[in-house]
Amino acid sequence: MAEDFRQILKRDYVVFDGGMGTMLQAAGMKMGETPEVLNVTSPELLVSIHEQYLRAGADVIYANTFGANRYKLEDCPYTLDELISAGIANARQACRNVKPEALVALDAGPIGQLLEPTGTLSFEEAYEIYAEIVEAGERAGADLVVFETQTDLMEVKAAVLAANEHTHLPVVCTMTFEANMRTFTGCSVSAMALALEGLGADAIGVNCSLGPKELEPVIAELSRWTDLPLVVKPNAGLPDPQTNEYNITADEFALLMKKLRRYGIKVYGGCCGTTPEFISALSQMLAGSGNEQAVRTGIRPAVCSATKTVELNEPRIIGERINPTGKKMFQQALRQGDIDYILNQALEQVQAGADILDINVGLPGIDEREMMVTVVKAVQSVVDVPLQLDSTIPEVLEAGLRVCNGKPIVNSVNGEDESLKKILPLVKKYGAAVVGLTLDKDGIPKKAEKRFEIAEKILNAALAIGIPRENVLIDCLTLTASAEQEGVMETLEAVRRVKQELGLKTVLGVSNISFGLPNRVLVNHIFLTMALQNGLDLPIINPNIPEMTGAVRAYKLLAGIDKNSMEYISAYAGQPAVPKIVPGAGGKKPESAQAADTAPSGGSQTAQPGDGKAALYQAVLNGMKNEGAQATRKLLAEMDSMEIVNTVLIPALDHVGDGFEKGTLFLPQLILSASVAQAAFEEIRKWMLENNSAPVSKGKIVIATVKGDIHDIGKNIVKVLLENYGYEVIDLGRDVPYQTVVDAIRKHNVKLVGLSALMTTTLVSMKETIELIHANNLDCKVMVGGAVLTPEYAKEIHADFYSRDAKESVDIARRVLG
Amino acid sequence: MNKLSVGIKLEHLDYSEALRYLGYGGAAPDEKTKALLSECEELVLQAASVRYVYKIFDISFSQAGIKVADTSLCLTGQAIREHLQDCGRAALMAVTISAGIDRLLRVLQLKDMAKAVVADSLASVAVEQACDKVEKELQEACPQYYQTFRFGLGYGDLPIRLQADFLRVLEAPKRIGLEANSSSMLVPGKSVTAVVGLSDAPLAARQRGCQTCSLKGGCKFREKGGRCNG
Repeated sequence: MAEDFRQILKRDYVVFDGGMGTMLQAAGMKMGETPEVLNVTSPELLVSIHEQYLRAGADVIYANTFGANRYKLEDCPYTLDELISAGIANARQACRNVKPEALVALDAGPIGQLLEPTGTLSFEEAYEIYAEIVEAGERAGADLVVFETQTDLMEVKAAVLAANEHTHLPVVCTMTFEANMRTFTGCSVSAMALALEGLGADAIGVNCSLGPKELEPVIAELSRWTDLPLVVKPNAGLPDPQTNEYNITADEFALLMKKLRRYGIKVYGGCCGTTPEFISALSQMLAGSGNEQAVRTGIRPAVCSATKTVELNEPRIIGERINPTGKKMFQQALRQGDIDYILNQALEQVQAGADILDINVGLPGIDEREMMVTVVKAVQSVVDVPLQLDSTIPEVLEAGLRVCNGKPIVNSVNGEDESLKKILPLVKKYGAAVVGLTLDKDGIPKKAEKRFEIAEKILNAALAIGIPRENVLIDCLTLTASAEQEGVMETLEAVRRVKQELGLKTVLGVSNISFGLPNRVLVNHIFLTMALQNGLDLPIINPNIPEMTGAVRAYKLLAGIDKNSMEYISAYAGQPAVPKIVPGAGGKKPESAQAADTAPSGGSQTAQPGDGKAALYQAVLNGMKNEGAQATRKLLAEMDSMEIVNTVLIPALDHVGDGFEKGTLFLPQLILSASVAQAAFEEIRKWMLENNSAPVSKGKIVIATVKGDIHDIGKNIVKVLLENYGYEVIDLGRDVPYQTVVDAIRKHNVKLVGLSALMTTTLVSMKETIELIHANNLDCKVMVGGAVLTPEYAKEIHADFYSRDAKESVDIARRVLG
Repeated sequence: MNKLSVGIKLEHLDYSEALRYLGYGGAAPDEKTKALLSECEELVLQAASVRYVYKIFDISFSQAGIKVADTSLCLTGQAIREHLQDCGRAALMAVTISAGIDRLLRVLQLKDMAKAVVADSLASVAVEQACDKVEKELQEACPQYYQTFRFGLGYGDLPIRLQADFLRVLEAPKRIGLEANSSSMLVPGKSVTAVVGLSDAPLAARQRGCQTCSLKGGCKFREKGGRCNG
């Protein structure tokens, strides 16, 4: 009778088996074949391999199911269920024959398709694929599931959630690191530990890629970031380039593994190149002397993305700009699904110094849940800082938590029982940190004492359901100084007490302090400094305001946190000791702030009153963004926005476009000009919003890179150009399903759609998309483009227009839409 | 023999190649483009991480195609048959400059499309230069063979659909983090898979020819009177 994996983890040590591929290749399997088929065709071979490992001392053996998934078995004559149940049955048979108490693990390697954003596989599909695997494994009688050789933290998250939500199996995760302490996708050791411990894995560790010697730094690092039992399954050293044989013997392997024992490893086994001989030597070594207990230092408070861990051991800036409250441009972007606008807000804040980004997409009239998922995915595809998910709706938070890569912060729970009951279980399930607001059904208490009590209540409720103390962050709430002046010091007192007496990290939204006052920045950054001195760890601020980011940097310098003033100097190097007093100046500025403040660089392009049109025209021609934006602002005061578009921007772009067609100007120049026009449009949009005018639109165009195709730079160039000519572009992105294109055409009632495909293999998707458009009798013309496309093929698949480059797509749009 | 390494470092990217990809033909770039090239070169070199794997196999010619010994792989099509004509062995290679480049290009497309376009072409140059170095290393590792030029999957009539099997034979997903999607596109994007023929006897000099190219008829370089191989 097999034992319980969670019970055997309480032993001094546990032995796993060694390489399977190595054994199968030795038995004559060809490279490129599907090893899992052997479960059905050669069960005796598998049983024999398992038996050898059991005799060598393995307590747990991996069934031969590493690649058994829907995607890899696409062309396989056997079903997933057949291969997994045969695989588990073979392992179980071996146990019965040799060691009945041994356990059988369902083994699941990576799916074999990279997840978005680098690949096209969505998190949701990955989850489904793993759900099928673990369900089949549990049905077949596996005792635990192991996700191994993983390189993408997001994929492991999908796998662990699938196992937790579809089975009762204990879960082991091992990832594969290179010598640079990262996986191929850049996942760090600390991020793996923080995220997977949070998700409730039973044991985590490393396998493959390197030998026990080379893996030592990875294991050392891992042991510093988790209290979970650690698993180590190295290769038999490094492969010899000439013979492809691994370079250490079984005895050397066992000796090196012995050295790793000081890190408190619980589970030992082998990966590529290791054989029963290795496991036998390993078992003897482990039996020889007791397992030294390593001293674990306990988990440090931290949050992370897959690639960046932010320790909460000093003041860290949470950027507050991804939030539509009171921001017209942001609201419009949300309503129009303009994700690029939001991404630029993310990039700008990180460049300005944000350590963490708050994400709030709550706006009446939009599907906040769906938007949260879209924005979280998109933001983490371009920035690497950890995220803080901000919503009042538990369903929105959960949707965001599922797709968030790493360990995020949930913003927020409060002292009301209802809130604690709904939010804390989510925080626990997904292993997040949480911001607790010190308010309850009676509102925000006036006195620090009462806020402290609520903080304590939140902490106790969190601890009661198993959320570790370091994951609870308290927001003592900033009140408006102009309305409740005496409240300011109460807030600071509450911060101080929560920090000192409860030992918790503190959060504070700062800007609210100055509401209703003139010169708000002054009040904000002084209050920020006061709060930092009282123990504030995580100010939620606008990092694009140099005084705010500067206050944090200067505080860290003065408080001796920024050792040798390194961070401060790197941020302000090159600035004079006594800067010129310019309102709003100081610090490294984000590009948009610079654009607004910088005077024109002089010369013939300088805009003078009266020659505004010429200045904009020249700016477009010469690819000068700041000058273009400035000239546009001036022109907007004098003339209608449509007139600017028609009489300046379009003729200037045509001028450049002509040069491009004639071969006197080239793609980078065309695009430089386009980006000036883009900046001009940005100014026009702002102006229209301020004046509540209808936005400039010469008509709508849907564009998409077709299903299966992921190279979308061409499509994105087309988008920029079309927008510059005043068309409203609905960009469906890349790898777009046929139906999505049809739905968008219908929803937005567009008369022109642009499809792009780069590969011969995806031209067929283009054809299918066009067929579906026609089958739906949509009154919409289709233009197509892409590297491998020819005018002949365009005709053959019944496209209305073939566009050889981005410039020609504009000509087509003019013909269709005017 | 199976070689896996991260030992290749790119130091300088060939601007003239990048300009050709950008459609310059022989025209000289203006000052702004030159500045873009140098700025983007730095970004690309910083983000690129060259990973590669190659392995040498015996090959045999059959009716169905060229069989790669000890694997389930069969290279089909007339072009590869001609290419490997006098070779008894072939090196299969897979090279990527990794996912950091995909991320860089995503960010640049948001922040600055002109930089994105220039960085994109420089990244294409980077992966080709990495391939050149791998070929050179192969030559140094086995000086006894004469090598053909590298023949890419999807080139001529060598089906790009072989991509997934090809990668599996090289264990490329596990060894260098390179995979193919359902359309056989390589992910990360700036990657190359290719076959280099190896012969014991000198090989007749052969050029990458336009006649065997799958882009024959729609080639942007040919339209401008140029060709993609210089």
